[in-house]
Amino acid sequence: MGNRIETEVVVIGGGATGAGVFRDLTLRGIKAILVEQRDLTYGTSSRYHGLLHSGARYAVNDKEAAKESYEENLILKETIPGSIERTGGFFVKLPQDDDEYVTKWVKACNEIGIPIEEISLESALREEPYLNKKAQAIYRVPDAAIDGFTMIIDLVADAVRRGNKVLTYHQVEDLLMRENHVVGVKVKNVYTGEIIEIYANIVVNATGSWAARVAEFAEIKINMINNRGMLAVFNQRFNKQVINRLRKPSDADIFVPAHNVTIFGTTGINVDQPDDFSLNYEELQMMLEDGSNLIPNLKQMRIIRAFAGVRPLYQENKTSEAGGRNVSRGMALLDHSARDGIEGFVTIVGGKLTTFRYMAEKTGDLVAGKIGNYKSSTTRFEVVPHRHAKEFFKEINMAPATKNKLFHWAGTRAKDLEKKMKDEEILKTVVCECEQVTLGEIEASLPNGKFNLGDIRRRTRLGMGPCQGTFCHHRAASLIVQRGLATAEEAEEAVIQAIEERQKGMQIINEGETAKQLDLMRAIYYVSLGMGKEK
Amino acid sequence: MLKLIESPFDRCLKCNACVVSCPVSNYSLDFGGPKHLGPELKRLIENQDLLDDPRVELCAICGNCDISCPEQVHVTDLIVQAKAIHSELSGTKFRDKLLSNPELIGKITSNLAPITNIAMKAKPIRKAIEKVMGIHSERQFPKYEFNNFNRRYKKKTANSERKVAYFVGCYATYNAPEIGDAFVEVMAYNNIEVAKPDQHCCGIPMLANGQFEQAKKNAKFNVQSLLKYVSEGYDIVATCSSCTLALKKEYVSVLGIDGAEELAKHVYDSSEYLRMLDEEGVLNKNLSPLNDNAGYYAPCHMKAQGIGNPAMDILELIPGYEIKDLAAGCCGQCGTFGFKEENFTLSLDIGKSMHDAVEELQPEYTVTECGMCKNQINQMTDQVVKHPIEVLAESYKKSK
Repeated sequence: MGNRIETEVVVIGGGATGAGVFRDLTLRGIKAILVEQRDLTYGTSSRYHGLLHSGARYAVNDKEAAKESYEENLILKETIPGSIERTGGFFVKLPQDDDEYVTKWVKACNEIGIPIEEISLESALREEPYLNKKAQAIYRVPDAAIDGFTMIIDLVADAVRRGNKVLTYHQVEDLLMRENHVVGVKVKNVYTGEIIEIYANIVVNATGSWAARVAEFAEIKINMINNRGMLAVFNQRFNKQVINRLRKPSDADIFVPAHNVTIFGTTGINVDQPDDFSLNYEELQMMLEDGSNLIPNLKQMRIIRAFAGVRPLYQENKTSEAGGRNVSRGMALLDHSARDGIEGFVTIVGGKLTTFRYMAEKTGDLVAGKIGNYKSSTTRFEVVPHRHAKEFFKEINMAPATKNKLFHWAGTRAKDLEKKMKDEEILKTVVCECEQVTLGEIEASLPNGKFNLGDIRRRTRLGMGPCQGTFCHHRAASLIVQRGLATAEEAEEAVIQAIEERQKGMQIINEGETAKQLDLMRAIYYVSLGMGKEK
Repeated sequence: MLKLIESPFDRCLKCNACVVSCPVSNYSLDFGGPKHLGPELKRLIENQDLLDDPRVELCAICGNCDISCPEQVHVTDLIVQAKAIHSELSGTKFRDKLLSNPELIGKITSNLAPITNIAMKAKPIRKAIEKVMGIHSERQFPKYEFNNFNRRYKKKTANSERKVAYFVGCYATYNAPEIGDAFVEVMAYNNIEVAKPDQHCCGIPMLANGQFEQAKKNAKFNVQSLLKYVSEGYDIVATCSSCTLALKKEYVSVLGIDGAEELAKHVYDSSEYLRMLDEEGVLNKNLSPLNDNAGYYAPCHMKAQGIGNPAMDILELIPGYEIKDLAAGCCGQCGTFGFKEENFTLSLDIGKSMHDAVEELQPEYTVTECGMCKNQINQMTDQVVKHPIEVLAESYKKSK
């Protein structure tokens, strides 16, 4: 019967931590199933600025976190090359920023071993012409840009390739308990309602902001603080590298280039719900005000959307902290057997995306030990297949920009995609022009379940550009229907859902081109195509 | 490395108005279209690796995309940059380098004019040119004048109250000095003396062929030379619509030449200048009737200036003169574009709307400012083509 599965470990949570743990266990030869309530990367792991920290940001206030970040920065650049752009970064001190902090910061970076290099304003402006010309000191740091979407998708794909299983759009209904043992999870397919019971020796709770809710199923209390941060996406990539403000870490002082855009963040406001992704106009205006200190032209540049993510911050109980494990602040690995007397259940929360691998390794050590697997973690050097595909698509006649996208994107799918594109002309069709996404890529990334434009977006960047799907969503949907991969009803539902989601991030901008773009989008979908109801 | 000028692509809403208005996109699927090769491509290379898209060669920089854009994105400026990138990364064909330099061709060819004009009509020579140069054998060429305008007119200063510095352009210099003559005459009828400043090709053909640096060099020279005249109270007037567009717009927005913005304020198309004189009430209206029935063909670069239809405004002042707007799209010659062997068929396809409009209206002759449009009209119809200033000169002369 299909409703019962047995495995060694269930990992709950398809974000960076869950994907990291899932792959870590897979590489140790452990049978595991990853369960995610929505799509991979749905939560915090894709709702952030995409900064691979060099550690410099934490150098003054949290040396341990800084050191950890720098070490992980070096490891991830080697092991996840397909999702990282080695942009480098700047720390920029403005006249109003504290001089003493700079002295402390330089000293701390040197002590920790983070390589920083002071550069002249002149050469900094040559590289980053949008920088404030009044900057007083600029340091180069080994920051980088990391794509949360591709990274998590690749981590999971690597584990799946090695024989393990993933269930997306499966929500945890309950933990299966036998006395004080967690023996598995009961999950529900959110589309079909089908219930599956997965039995396992260990269940890992890697659900970030949702960790407290999952732990509650075992009547365990975890104190999480949900800290919502807002970010803005600019239409153009106006910086080559990461730009940070050299001051005590605060709001609105990070600019990260992400492929064709710049992401700007962030704020921090505590909220009740783990999925409170609400956006606030005043908050955005304050961010822009503050950000224009670093980039004076900021308010003249077009923002295409804003979004929010929730930082899952773990608040220690006085009695908690699992067996004094040597883990750094920020991340919390909770062995509920020692902490709460519940066997077979482990929670990993907190931390940052930059240190996800380290968190996964520590979690893997604990879990593997519990099931008698004594192999050590290999994620430190085992490389996730690269996204490069330069050797392919040579004979295919396509726009250079489209090809360039495939060169950096196709990765392990390149060979198959190339063959299909040679066989079927239509697969070369550019569906999303802003981000140069072809029908071939869309079909190659169609998830097994329901046709969902959000899932496609996370895998291809469809609809992430300036028009936010004004033109590509209906194209993608009609092509998919034409190709017999979804019914017209499914496609229409997916389109309505996708444009509603896109509009949330656009509405908040409410001015300039983005307001016009929004009008155009509504006119096309609600008026011309007569879809859904205008809101 | 190339140093490109900032041109806002941020405003593009992806609406496709430019694609719909693009004469090349309307007839060829091999062209990426103005939206992709302009704002889209620019966004994709911003602070990332440059991308070389050879399809930019098909852009004729006619400027229809610029006029159509509801968001005022300077699409052509962006494509010109993409052309420069293409030349930088892939090099430029010898033919394109040559075509991009009408001043050089003009100098050489006009010296040998009697021979070259005959030679260019000989079929075997045309075949050879097609083979060696990639210029289509059936393509007509403008004729060259030995007695070019540089030989005819050397006046460097003017002493009248209102003074004009004439930007002649390569076409009126080497191919049709009669336009230059007519311009000087018309100005004289209005008591305006004409000076001919030192000048080089405006650079539009260079921009069209990715010769960004050369265009910049010429632009710098022209801006410096013309600004001297501006400072002495001259107005800058041109008879070629592409030259006018370069002086008014490209020098400022694509090439970012120092002083270009100041210069642009003083630049006029010849008919636009006369219309202004009329508006000021100082135009000599002693025009004798011409009982002609003409068609006016507006060059794309005239439309791109956004100054309405000054040629018709002025010619309609001539008593008895009938002129109707042919209201056709791009002629398809598009400067150097139509000479290229690979574009020949496409060039004629694009020109079809112009051809059909002429057939329908059946004017006695066609009036247009652009020498290249004239070339295509001559190629595709049996019309005589005149510059508006020539018609006006005729009317003034008759009334003497």
